Amino acid sequence: MIGVEPWVINVAELKFFGYLADLAGSRKREVTLERAVPLRELLPPRFPKENIIILINEKAASLDSVIQNEDSVVFMPILSGG
Amino acid sequence: MKGYAGKLLRVNLTDGKISKEEISESMKKDFLGGRGFAVKLLWDEVKRVDPLSEKNKIILATGPLSGQMLPSSGKMVIASKSPLTGGYGDGNIGTLASVHLRKAGYDVVVVEGRSEKPCLLVIEDDQVRIVEASELWGKNTFDVQDHLEKTYGRNSGILLTGPAGENLIPISTVMSQRGRAGGRPGMGAVMGSKHLKGVVIKGTGSIPNADDGQLKALGKKGYEEIKGKESYDFWMRQGTMQAFEWCNENGCLPTYNFREGVFEFSKEMDGYVLEQFHVDRKGCPMCNMQCGHVIKDSEDQRAELDYENVGMLGPNIGLRDLRQVALLNRMADEWGLDTISLGSGIGFLMEASERGLIKEKIGWGDFVAAQKLIREIGMGEGTGSLVSRGVKAASEALGKDSYRWAMHVKGLEISAYNCHGCPGMALSFGTSPIGASHKDAWIIAWEIATDRFSYSKEKVEKLVEFQRIRGGFFESATVCRLPWVEVSFGLHWYPEYLEAITGIHRTWEDLYQIGDRIYTLIRAFWKREIPQFGRTWDFPPDRWFEEPHSQGKVKGVTVDRKKYEEMLSYYYQLRGWDENGIPLKQTLDRLELKEVAKEITGSF
Ligand code: SF4
Repeated sequence: MIGVEPWVINVAELKFFGYLADLAGSRKREVTLERAVPLRELLPPRFPKENIIILINEKAASLDSVIQNEDSVVFMPILSGG
Repeated sequence: MKGYAGKLLRVNLTDGKISKEEISESMKKDFLGGRGFAVKLLWDEVKRVDPLSEKNKIILATGPLSGQMLPSSGKMVIASKSPLTGGYGDGNIGTLASVHLRKAGYDVVVVEGRSEKPCLLVIEDDQVRIVEASELWGKNTFDVQDHLEKTYGRNSGILLTGPAGENLIPISTVMSQRGRAGGRPGMGAVMGSKHLKGVVIKGTGSIPNADDGQLKALGKKGYEEIKGKESYDFWMRQGTMQAFEWCNENGCLPTYNFREGVFEFSKEMDGYVLEQFHVDRKGCPMCNMQCGHVIKDSEDQRAELDYENVGMLGPNIGLRDLRQVALLNRMADEWGLDTISLGSGIGFLMEASERGLIKEKIGWGDFVAAQKLIREIGMGEGTGSLVSRGVKAASEALGKDSYRWAMHVKGLEISAYNCHGCPGMALSFGTSPIGASHKDAWIIAWEIATDRFSYSKEKVEKLVEFQRIRGGFFESATVCRLPWVEVSFGLHWYPEYLEAITGIHRTWEDLYQIGDRIYTLIRAFWKREIPQFGRTWDFPPDRWFEEPHSQGKVKGVTVDRKKYEEMLSYYYQLRGWDENGIPLKQTLDRLELKEVAKEITGSF
């Protein structure tokens, strides 16, 4: 089961940057996971599958990477600078 | 070859001679345009001269894609021997001058000599005049832009130097359209040294393309593709300012003269704050993803912001108020000062003050002091004059180990990415062909997405690939580098555009070869102009190797010098340069630059 339950302490945190926050519907989400799940199961279907930065606990990851409670996940667009 | 006006306009300001020359087919084929044309001309015509003497030349160069009806093509390159670095200097600028120059029937303008009195170069199709402009000398770039638009019409291509360029300040740049800037390594000062206040261009012709119908159809599809991208709406809201939050999160926001990578007040001035203040959007011609965001500054004047200038005039000097940053940015644009070098210079002075190395007390984030310093830097007077010639020269004058935190490579100030924890990006700054510019290879996002702290060969290979695309092709074509990555605009479009324009089919491999030729010739130019030039010039400052951040994601991390050396050696190997970074004879032969070998004395 996956649910948005901000009052639960045992959660995984997802942070979205740039246009990915628009697609995810928020800049930050906390989710409670009853089991470890691949990231792609937590994202809306329109979410891009490539050309993005995914970091789980500061380490490079992919949409197939599995997360669990207490993980911290960051999604960022690839930028090329000002 | 189709797609070029085919003419080079040469103007000598000393004797007033104006001539038009054919651009050879080999020049078009081997150097493409823009940066390629610029370095070839400088190599052939500017040898060991004082950059601020009348012997130096300034090149305004377009390429086959410039000013065409295709995405983000309203760009041109302004190049010269740099008074800031002593080596090759250039910058691209988005300006109507690009569009009009091509319509006027020229691909390139070479300005040489020095006018006795301040002047304007006015190009109206084949009517070319040098016009006295003493009344404009000393005026800021916004006022002069207004004046020239009244005189020549709003639809004119205008390039200007500001009061800083007139005062021969080496960190001065060229301005257009009240906010477009280009030519960081002192191109404004080269114009000033020639008493050339500005260039006005009006063209009414058309570019002789191989297949206009095909180009129109491809251009339309390209514009549509950009508009349909998922990231388009957000880009239109924040543009490059989305990098502010991004860099802060990744611990690479330049903060307190690059001492830290996160700014405690970042949420008060990031892209979301910009959205609240936004009053207008501006940009370059031919662009449907315009990224200049106008806000009202702290004096209620319009000022255009992007990430670079906010990063360097905000956290890098400890200033937390976006509207105050906007005011400093407007001042820089009016004076014709490069905002990156300016922010680095002010940060350097604040740190020098904190360390007691200068007697003035200039605290971090002191907005009043920063305004005073901008005026002093633009005039070359007072405390500000210490950094008017850049932080490299300032650290040489100041001594006391200040070179360790003078944030530059090859004399050009580092732009707004702090690389203690980004070795690939550090190498990108180290090997950028004009000094520490981010434009050639912004590899930082790729390395964070993959293996941030590695010093892998793959990273160096990626860096060279980015340089080939961005610094080689985009700067020579000339088109903006932003659509490709920012909105995932397909790279496949560019060879297609090039074929519709020139009638010649070329693959990316062919274009890489041109890029490699350009990089190697730029390298040779540095070596010829600065005999002691070599490997040691490709290193970022000690701060990145020795002084870790105290907070943020890369707290405690620095670049490993030994591993940086290994990456640099591999970079030279990929480029076909020797261990000192000097092009090998076989590389020059392979790139059809045989004549160059003879001139890099002592190298072979
Ligand atoms: S994206 Fe920005 S810099 Fe590039 S052409 Fe458009 S307005 Fe100019």
